[in-house]
Amino acid sequence: MTSYQSRLGEGEGIAEELAESQQAISIAEFFEKNKHMLGFDSEARALVTAVKEAVDNALDATEEAGILPDIYVEIQEAGDYYRLIVEDNGPGITREQIPKIFGKLLYGSRFHKREQNRGQQGIGISAAVLYSQLTSGKPAKITSRTEGSAEAEYFELIVDTDTNEPEISEESTTSWERPHGTRIELEMEGNMRARQQLHDYIKHTAVVNPHARIEMREPDEHFKYERATDQLPDETEEIRPHPHGVELGTLIKMLESTDSYSVSGFMQGEFTRVGGKTSDSVIDNFRDRYFGREMTWRPPEAHEDADVETAVEDAVANKGKEATADFAATVAGRIAADDRIAYFQVAEIVDDVAAEVAEEYDTTFGDTVRENAIEAAWQEITTDLTADLYALVDDATTKRKDDAHVQGLAERVAGKFENRTDDARHRVTRADLRSYVGKAAEDTEEFDGATFGETARENVTEAIWERMETVPDDPPKVHDIADERDTASDLLEAMRETDIISPPTGCLSPITADLVEAGLTKEYDADFYAAATRDASVHGGDPFIVEAGIAYGGDVEAEGKAEVMRFANRVPLVYQRGACATTDVVKSINWRNYGLDQPGGSGIPNGPVVVMVHIASTNVPFTSESKDAVANIPEIEDEIELAIREAARELKSYLNKRRSMQQRREKENKLATILPEMAEKIADVTGEEPLDIDDTMARIMNNVLVERRRENGTVELVVENNDDANADLEITDIVDAEPDGVEDGTVVEMDGEWFVKWSPTVGSGEEARLSYGLPNEADCNVSVDGIEEEKLTVTDQ
Amino acid sequence: MSVDTDSEAREQLIDLAAQFYDQFAEGDVPSMEVPTRTKTNIEYDEDKHVWVYGDRTSTRSAKSIRGAQKLLKAIYTIDFLAQQLDEGRSSTLRELYYLSESWDLDEAQFSSQDESNDLVEDLEIVSGATREDFHMRPEESGATIMGPLKLREQTRRGEREIHCQKDVGEGGYQIPNNPDTIDFLSNDADFVLAVETGGMRDRLVENGFDEEYNALIVHLKGQPARATRRITKRLHDELDLPVTVFTDGDPWSYRIYGSVAYGSIKSAHLSEYLATPEADFIGIRPEDIVEYDLPTDPLSDSDVNALESELEDPRYQTEFWEEQIELQLDIEKKSEQQSLASRGLDFVTDTYLPERLSEMGVL
Repeated sequence: MTSYQSRLGEGEGIAEELAESQQAISIAEFFEKNKHMLGFDSEARALVTAVKEAVDNALDATEEAGILPDIYVEIQEAGDYYRLIVEDNGPGITREQIPKIFGKLLYGSRFHKREQNRGQQGIGISAAVLYSQLTSGKPAKITSRTEGSAEAEYFELIVDTDTNEPEISEESTTSWERPHGTRIELEMEGNMRARQQLHDYIKHTAVVNPHARIEMREPDEHFKYERATDQLPDETEEIRPHPHGVELGTLIKMLESTDSYSVSGFMQGEFTRVGGKTSDSVIDNFRDRYFGREMTWRPPEAHEDADVETAVEDAVANKGKEATADFAATVAGRIAADDRIAYFQVAEIVDDVAAEVAEEYDTTFGDTVRENAIEAAWQEITTDLTADLYALVDDATTKRKDDAHVQGLAERVAGKFENRTDDARHRVTRADLRSYVGKAAEDTEEFDGATFGETARENVTEAIWERMETVPDDPPKVHDIADERDTASDLLEAMRETDIISPPTGCLSPITADLVEAGLTKEYDADFYAAATRDASVHGGDPFIVEAGIAYGGDVEAEGKAEVMRFANRVPLVYQRGACATTDVVKSINWRNYGLDQPGGSGIPNGPVVVMVHIASTNVPFTSESKDAVANIPEIEDEIELAIREAARELKSYLNKRRSMQQRREKENKLATILPEMAEKIADVTGEEPLDIDDTMARIMNNVLVERRRENGTVELVVENNDDANADLEITDIVDAEPDGVEDGTVVEMDGEWFVKWSPTVGSGEEARLSYGLPNEADCNVSVDGIEEEKLTVTDQ
Repeated sequence: MSVDTDSEAREQLIDLAAQFYDQFAEGDVPSMEVPTRTKTNIEYDEDKHVWVYGDRTSTRSAKSIRGAQKLLKAIYTIDFLAQQLDEGRSSTLRELYYLSESWDLDEAQFSSQDESNDLVEDLEIVSGATREDFHMRPEESGATIMGPLKLREQTRRGEREIHCQKDVGEGGYQIPNNPDTIDFLSNDADFVLAVETGGMRDRLVENGFDEEYNALIVHLKGQPARATRRITKRLHDELDLPVTVFTDGDPWSYRIYGSVAYGSIKSAHLSEYLATPEADFIGIRPEDIVEYDLPTDPLSDSDVNALESELEDPRYQTEFWEEQIELQLDIEKKSEQQSLASRGLDFVTDTYLPERLSEMGVL
C-alpha cells in the first residue's frame, strides 16, 4: 500500500509501466486458466465432458435436420491416452465449415438466437479438440459426409492457439459406410475413474431423448439404448425477446438500433407477444409514469355557487351574443353530463364545441378564446376540491376515523393540487401523488393529532389515483427515449407492469409428459411413473418450461436416497449436483406429504424413487460455463417446484391407494381368520348346520362378489357390488360345452372351449344376474377383470 | 329383568347366538346393538324412579377388525356360559378373564379384565338376564350387615338361619354374592344405615348404635358391590325400611350414595333391580363441615373436576345436590366421616346421627 502511495505521489509512469505488461492472452492460456469452467478440470472429468460435448453436438445436428438420431460412442485405450470416437447420422458438415466448427473456439450458429438448443456458446467441441491437442499432441480426426455425396471429407486439424484459427494438417476424401453423418476422433489424456458419471450421462441422455438410439462401447462395458419413440422433438423456432424479460441496458440498446420511430412501432416490431392492444396498454402505463395522470373532479351541480355556463360566457368576447350563449350552454351541458372530468377532457369539449358553434354561426373561436374558455370552466370545476376529496378519503379509510380528521386530510390534499402554480391541469405522477398524501397526512397528524398510518395513506393514494385519467399526450419518440435513461426506465417499468401473455413456446421443445414417462419406463423397471409438463414461463425475456418425472418402486434401488436426474435442454447434468437449483428444490420439498420417507423432514427423500427434472429454455441460466448446475433463479425454482409437486401428487395418490389396498388385504386376512372361527363356534353353540360366510365377507370388505349358481341346465352368475362406487367389469366364463341363450354377452369358440363374455356395469349396492344355458355336467371357470384383486370375491363351484 | 331358571338364562344366550347365525346365513354382517354406556345417555324413568339408559346405542359390528374381535369374544363367552349353566357351576369374573387364556384362538382372548367385565355387561343387556343368572360372580366384596334382622340363606351347603346381631361376631353378617338366595324371616329394625367406611361402621357397632336405635348397619366398603346394593333395595322394598346413607364428605362419596340411590352408569340396565331411589343422604354434607367446623383437607384438582362433572350429571341435578356441591366448591374443603371424632368419640352416636336422623324424619 505504502509503495503505491509513494508512487502515486510521483504522478507519472505507472500507467506506462502497467502497459508494458499488458498483452494479448493466447487462447491456449485462456483455456489452461479456465478449463475448470469448461469442464476439463481433471483427467477423469475431461473424458466425460468430451463425450458430452460431442454427443450434444451430434443430437443437435440430427434433430435440426429432422433425422432420428443414431449415435455411437466409443472409448478405446490407446497407449498412455484414451481415444474417443463419436459418430452420428446427422446431415454432415460441408468441407468449408468443418475446420471452423471443430478448430475455432467461440464459433457457432446459436449464440445469438433465442431458441432452445443443447449447445449455445460454440465452445464445447472445439474446447475438446483443444484439450486433446494440448494433452496428447495429436490432431483431431474429423470425417463427415453430406447426404448425396459419394465420398466423405476427412480432416486432421488442431486449433492454432495464437490465432484461434484451425490449423489443418491433413485434408482428403475418404469412403465411409454411413450415407451421411459426422465422426470425430480425439486422443487425450484421461482416465475412467468417472465411469459412473459417464454411464449416468449416457443413460440419462437416453431417458430424455427417447427418440434417439445410443450405443456406447468402452473398454469394460457395452450398452445399447434403443429408441422408445419415432417422434422427433418439435422443431424449434427463433423468437424475439419478451417485454418482461429485458433489462434496462438491453432495452436502451434495442431502442438505439431499432428502425421504428414510435414507441408503438418499436413495441410491436421488436418484441414477441406485443400487438396493437398490448402496445397501447404499455404506452398508457408509460404515459402514467412519464407525464403523470390528470385528476378528475365532479363538475359543479345546479345548487352550487360555481357556474360553468356564466363563467364561460363571461370569458368569451366578441363572438356575437347568440353564438357565445350557445357555446357556453353546450360546453356547460357536456361538462355537467360527465360524472368526473379532467382538464384535458374539458379542453377536448371546448375544442369540439368551438368547432361546432363556429360552423353553425360562421365565426371562429381562436386559440386565445378557447384557452380563456377552458381556464374559466376549469376554474369553476375546481372551486371546491375538498368536498370531492372528502368523499374519496372517507371511503378509503376505516369508519372509525373522525369526520373532522378526514376533512383535515382532504383539505390538505386539496391544497396540494391548488398550490400547483406550475401546472393548473392537476397533472401528477403516482409517486408525487403519494408524497402529497404523505405530506398531508403528516400535517394532519401534527396539527389535528389524528394518525393516518401507511396503509391508510396508501389506500387514499390508490383511491385518488383510480379517479385520475391517463393523459392523451403523445409519448416521446423512440430516439428521445434512448437518449434519456430515466425515460427508458419509465418505459421498462411500464412494460413490466403491463399484463402480457407468456412468450410463445414454439421456440421450446419440451419432452412432453408422455415421453418423459416413456423415457423413464424405458430405463427404469418401476411400479409407477408420473410426469408433468408445466406451461411456459419467462425469466429474463427467455421463456422456459420445466418438466418433472417420477418413477417409483419395482427394480428401482430401494436402499438409500432417491436418484435425482437433472436435465437442461435435454442434456443430462451429472456434475455439481449440490450447486444446482434442481437439487435445492428437491431437498426443500416436504416429501413426507407425498408418502415418501424423508429423514428430518427435508433433504433428498429415501426409497425406491427416481426424480427427474428437465428445464427447457432459450437460455438456461447455468452457474458456470461448464454447464453443470442451474443457477438459483426464483422464477425457475418456483416452476421446478410446481412441476415436481404435480408429479408427486400422482405419486401420493398411487402410494395412498397402495397403502389402502395393503390395509384392505390385512383386514381381509384378519377377518378371514376371525369370521370362520366365529361362524364355526356359532354353529356349534346353536347346534345348526355349518355356515357359508362368503357373502358376509364380501359385504364387509365392500367387495364385488361374483357367485355362480347352477340349476337344471342353466348357469347364473350373480354379481353383487358392495362397494360405494360403480364397478365396470369384464366377466369371462370359460366352458367346455356349447352354451346357449347368452344374453348381453358374446360367445367365442376356441379349441373346443367357449369363452362367454359380458361387460356389465354394476352400480354401488346393486346386483346383476348373467345367465345362460349349459349342460349340468359341463365344466366352467369364471374370471373377472376391471377391478382390483383385493376388491373381488369369486365363489365358483 | 332377571330370569327365573338356569335353563331360561341359557336359552337367552343361545338366542343371541342364533341371531348371529341368522345374520351370517342371510349374508349380512353380524352385529349387536347395545345402549351407549355414558353419563350423557342416561335418563330418569318417571315410572320406576330410577335412572336407565337413553335411546342412544352403540353397534358392535363385524365390519371392523375390532368389532369382529368383540363379537368373536362374545360368542366364545356365550359358549362358555352356556356350558357352565349346563353343568350347574359358577365362576368369578376374574376366572373368566384367565379362562380365556385357554381358548385356542388368540383373537378370542381378553386383553384385560375390564374387557371381559364389559362384555359380560353387554351380554346382560342384550339377553335381558343378569350375570348372577349366568352364575358369574365378582370377587367377594366382604360387605356386612349388623342389626336386628333374622334371615335364611340358601348356601351350597344347605340352609342357614342367621340372626344378624345374635348369631354373628362383631364383624357382622357377610352378604353373599347372590342375595336373592336370602329370605328375610323377622326383624325389629326401624331403618337401614348404610356406612361407607369400616372405621365408622366399627365405631357405630362399638357404641351399640344398632341396638339403641334398631338400625340395620350395612357396611358398603367403598363403592358398593351389586350384592350390597341389591340387599339394600330388598330391605327397603320387602321390609319397608327407610334407607339412609352415611359417607365421607367428598365427591367420590357422593357417587357412592348415587349408586345406592340412583344406580350406576355402568349398570343402569339393572337400576330397577339394584337402585333404592328412596335412599336419603345423611352426610357428611358440606354444610356440616361449616356448621360443625370439622377438620378438613383442601380439595384437590381431581376433586374439583369430579364435583363439576357431578353438576353436569343428570342424577345430581336436584336442588339439594346443586346447593351442596356449589357450597363445597366455594369452601374448597372436604372432610372424612371420622373427622367427627374431633368432638369426641361419642359425638357421632350421641349427637350427630340422632339430630340428623330426626331432622330427616327417620327417628
